[in-house]
Amino acid sequence: MSVAVAKAKSDLSGPYEREDLLNGCQAVAQGVRLADVDVIAAYPIRPYTEVMDALSKLIADGQFDAEYIIADSEHSQFEIVKHASSVNARAFGGSSGTGWMYGMEALVVTATDRLPPLFVVGNRALDDPGAFGVEHNDAMAIRDMGWLLCWVTTPQEALEHVLIGYRIAEDKRVRMPMGLAMDGAFLTHSQHMVKVPSVAAAKKFLPQYDLAERRLHPDNPISVAPQVNEDWVMELRRQNWEAAKRARGVIKEAYKEFNDVFGNRYSAPYYFDEFMTDDAEVVLIGIGTVAAPARTAVRRMREKGQKVGYVNLRWFRPFPTVELRESLSRFKAVGVVDRDFAHGSPDDCGILMHEVRSCLYPAKNRPAIVNFMGGLGGRDLSIADTQKMFEITQQAVKKDSMDGFITWIGLRE
Amino acid sequence: MIKRVEVNYRGIFQKNLGKKIGSDIVMIASRMGQRAFSNGRYSDSPERNGIPCKYFAFVSPDLPEEELEAECGAKLEIDEADVSVVLDDTMCKGVEPWGWHGIRPINERVVKDGCLLVVSKKKPEELLKFIGKKPYNYRIAILDGDASLAGLWVNKDDMTHERILGGIAAVDPAIISIEAVESYLMDKTKQKHRAEAARAAYESLRAEAKPPRVKTVTPNDGIDWPHKIPVLPKWFEMQEGAVVPAVKRGFEMGPRGQNRNPGFKRGTTKTQRPAVRFDLCTKCTLCWAECPDECFDPTTDGFYDIEYQYCVGCGKCAEVCPVKECIVMVDELQFEDDHSPWEHWKKDSKEYIAWVEGKKGKERVSYPVVTGKGRTVTQGEVMPEGKIVPVRKTEEVEV
Ligand code: SF4
Ligand code: SF4
Repeated sequence: MSVAVAKAKSDLSGPYEREDLLNGCQAVAQGVRLADVDVIAAYPIRPYTEVMDALSKLIADGQFDAEYIIADSEHSQFEIVKHASSVNARAFGGSSGTGWMYGMEALVVTATDRLPPLFVVGNRALDDPGAFGVEHNDAMAIRDMGWLLCWVTTPQEALEHVLIGYRIAEDKRVRMPMGLAMDGAFLTHSQHMVKVPSVAAAKKFLPQYDLAERRLHPDNPISVAPQVNEDWVMELRRQNWEAAKRARGVIKEAYKEFNDVFGNRYSAPYYFDEFMTDDAEVVLIGIGTVAAPARTAVRRMREKGQKVGYVNLRWFRPFPTVELRESLSRFKAVGVVDRDFAHGSPDDCGILMHEVRSCLYPAKNRPAIVNFMGGLGGRDLSIADTQKMFEITQQAVKKDSMDGFITWIGLRE
Repeated sequence: MIKRVEVNYRGIFQKNLGKKIGSDIVMIASRMGQRAFSNGRYSDSPERNGIPCKYFAFVSPDLPEEELEAECGAKLEIDEADVSVVLDDTMCKGVEPWGWHGIRPINERVVKDGCLLVVSKKKPEELLKFIGKKPYNYRIAILDGDASLAGLWVNKDDMTHERILGGIAAVDPAIISIEAVESYLMDKTKQKHRAEAARAAYESLRAEAKPPRVKTVTPNDGIDWPHKIPVLPKWFEMQEGAVVPAVKRGFEMGPRGQNRNPGFKRGTTKTQRPAVRFDLCTKCTLCWAECPDECFDPTTDGFYDIEYQYCVGCGKCAEVCPVKECIVMVDELQFEDDHSPWEHWKKDSKEYIAWVEGKKGKERVSYPVVTGKGRTVTQGEVMPEGKIVPVRKTEEVEV
């Protein structure tokens, strides 16, 4: 039930050394500095560009020391990050939209090679037509490739999740690449006061990166990813499958450790945040910055006595199947907010809807469920919009048909 | 009932030949009213120059096509073959197409009373010196001829293909009959000599043919197979992240002094091996430097021994050696083992020279396969001990 936002104004002492005005991109850059990243590969595309700008400024200003490589494209950028990670350098990359997609080949192999660099994705609609607004399909493209993937909703969380992300990704039991996604514009370019951890606190939380027996080094002669035939691939997939499952436990551990160092910033079950759900009958679940208008709508509707709540899904991979199933099956109806699309998929739902619905299938009590397609290409998702979604979801409780199963929000019609 | 044909061919050099044989079995069996299909074990990887590869054809008089496909097409490798065709007899020494596969006997898939059909100039007895024993009787049939070697994009039209079809008709008429082979070739090509080539091959393999070319192989024939088949690790026994430990580093002077990959030797790739006359060697280092598979082990007296288990027979060393007759490529079946030639020579140099010249014989292969042309055969010359004559390469290359 806790919400990071509610605690943002606490004392500046101990693990946090100062408060800065930072947007999401700059907050990520501060996280990269505090994680003491060794190698950064960069190639511009907005809205991610400001991350690389902020990092180069930190280095130029002498506040941070790292190898900073400007690549000739995202494909090379991601390859550099992957290779740096394989020689035991903590490595960082990032991109947005079609740039992210252009480097897809490198992103896929980073996962199969089980390397743990961190990439930030400033979510952006996939061109064509040329568009800059947020949409989640770019980051979602890696969801089944063996990546860790989470969304943050504030610059504070963005900074902290660079540290948390490396902590989980580099864990011996996991060693998977980490995708840290944040809504383009609404978070990447939204400035807030951010408490910046001290170097000592960051160090205390985040252990050294050690690839150990898999470190590519002349003293440890190995081959990484040689050509294999039908005799090997299935076993490798099984290893990735296990790692993704193990990651669920490691995520929990990481948040607990983070809380130990930084005070109780996050509460169980960590993979998602629930807001005013204790006695709720109807909830919305969504990803990213839609949390703010949705939670505000909840507060206002609660004032009128309506039992509504909001679930902010933070971790998409691994998907918190058991916890979310348990949570959502308490409600009478669930409205799933998709800031993405999956054209022609079953019932033509969005991606999040497919995942939530599939997660609920084995539940004893299956709530009524409806889907909202909204905020695509950076279109507004306002308090009024989320309020409307709550109302539609409330009606779904009584409905016994697929009528009104999907509603497009904010569409000119 | 299903009849299974396996075609063992040399990667790249016989790729089109293998495929053509598979295709035509399907065409001919279909004309006979049977269901048939054909498939290959590889697309390109790991098909490399000379690597032992396989093509398959399946024929059934009674199963519907989908069932035939399900029985035979859902697996990448077959479990048994009624006829195993061997398009190059040097594969009788075993086949190792890729790493962790082990060196397998050429007759591994041949069923009881089935047939190993080999293109060869050798007699069955000579081939059985290399072939593993089977617990039951089967047949070995020799289709007289040299291996037909060409290139990736070409097919050498020397009628090996037609003759193989005739051969299959002789050893297992239930797959394709000679009449159907002949009528198919005539309809397709309108060239009588192709049908005749198939018929001649067929006649040569009939029981009453003189000399007899089909021999029944009993459980006493052949050798105890010397190579182990590796057991692949379970998923949790493998390193994560597709990581493979490198070959352990290690180097000492002398035979087999350097560590090599035990999981993939690649020696079954070769049809010829380089035979060295150490008495003619000028210690120029070129063979050692140029061998793409690092088969040469430097010795304390400045020579270069060859580790034949890892030699793929590419002929590069013979090509770069600046001394006439110093390195010559010789038919792989001349050699029964992979012992160190340098040790042999050190033990008794006169005996070694006589031995190696005996292996070379009168005719010898000059250079590796020229794409589209096959091997060239040139007349060799026995050099007296220690007579060093420089090679003038330009004269030697036959185009
Ligand atoms: S033929 Fe010569 S160059 Fe080629 S692999 Fe064998 S030893 Fe090496
Ligand atoms: S290339 Fe010929 S002469 Fe030179 S070292 Fe090798 S065997 Fe001797």
